[in-house]
Amino acid sequence: MNSEKKPFTKSILQLENVEAKSIHIAEKLRNDVFNRLNRMGGVIGISGGIDSAVTFALAVKAFGAEKVLGVMLPEKDSSGDSARFAQKLADKFGVKTITENITGALQGFGCYERRDEAVKRIFPEYDPSAYKMKIGVKSSGLYTNLPPLFSVIIVDSHGNEQSKRLPATEFRQIEAASNFKQRSRMAMLYYHAERLHYSVIGTPNKHEADQGFFVKYGDGGADVMPIGHLYKTQVYQLARHLGVPQEIIDRTPTTDTYSAEQTQEEFFYQIPFEQMDLLWYAHENGYTPEEVAPVMELTAEQVKSVFVNFERKYRTTEYLRMGPIRD
Amino acid sequence: MIDNATQIEEKLFEYVRKSTHADVNKINRETLLFREGIFDSMGFVLLIDYLEENFGIKASDTDLIEENFESVKAITHYVQQKKAAKAA
Repeated sequence: MNSEKKPFTKSILQLENVEAKSIHIAEKLRNDVFNRLNRMGGVIGISGGIDSAVTFALAVKAFGAEKVLGVMLPEKDSSGDSARFAQKLADKFGVKTITENITGALQGFGCYERRDEAVKRIFPEYDPSAYKMKIGVKSSGLYTNLPPLFSVIIVDSHGNEQSKRLPATEFRQIEAASNFKQRSRMAMLYYHAERLHYSVIGTPNKHEADQGFFVKYGDGGADVMPIGHLYKTQVYQLARHLGVPQEIIDRTPTTDTYSAEQTQEEFFYQIPFEQMDLLWYAHENGYTPEEVAPVMELTAEQVKSVFVNFERKYRTTEYLRMGPIRD
Repeated sequence: MIDNATQIEEKLFEYVRKSTHADVNKINRETLLFREGIFDSMGFVLLIDYLEENFGIKASDTDLIEENFESVKAITHYVQQKKAAKAA
């Protein structure tokens, strides 16, 4: 360990001066949008989740409420909570909102039909009017060197779940069809940004950006991502400081992509964000599994496996972060 | 249907070499396929599909452990076990 590296502890990620950090991010965002991108404000898709809420609050701090537009982008699978929380957020910060229901656009793309066709190949009895569906990975997956395998889960009206592992063809079809949602949202955000001469302010946090938990040219399509360098723990610290409504802070992060409710942990991360943050920080900053294991109450072998998983995620999602290859 | 361990191993080794984006010259039958990044998540899904289609086995959730899939040798042993259990 070099002399500048702090001992690894559970509080290592806590921002020491949240006010200073929020001012710094807001100043940088203002400079990025006004002086580098030469735009007059920001458009943000607000979902009622913690990341878009903090990005939204930072944009208000950067530009003033009159130069921020919140766009709610529900579709037929969206939770009603999303719109309610998003509106509460906008009201809190005195920002104008627009609701754009993208269900029609998604029907035009065949999003639901293409997805449901793949689900029916796995569960012939699946009827989208009678069942909800989601896909997810098993939560114990990070402590092994094997990558996670996705399953499709259908839920009947009584809450009974059936789950089957997804073969490659069906997995890719469900994922590709579902990605129409994020890409349609991106298209609508750019419509409003261009008509107002604003920038699209992206909401991914550091985990989403680094581990590839975003859709290329979907929620990954934005002009600037002010919280793209922040761990989730830090996003929550900022949320409390900036006055994000408590209900949004208390809400479990969900994907709000499939008709059945699904947490982000269940879909992608496999471990709670508090653990994910610390392990990712440790991995990025060169702490050894032996240094990390006792703090995290894991074995060194488990930490090694988590690190291998991180490296694989970073490597296999690198293409998501790449622009078009031109030479 | 292939039953012989050597034939299974040969077929699997050929599949791995054809399917990976990694340098095939660095792969042998004991290479740790996932730890060393020979296969990624999609590679694992496709491998399971391949085993089920080509060896007539069905991988259950409890089978999906590292010991069964870490190398060509391990997968060969796993396939043999599954085939033997099916025949019993």
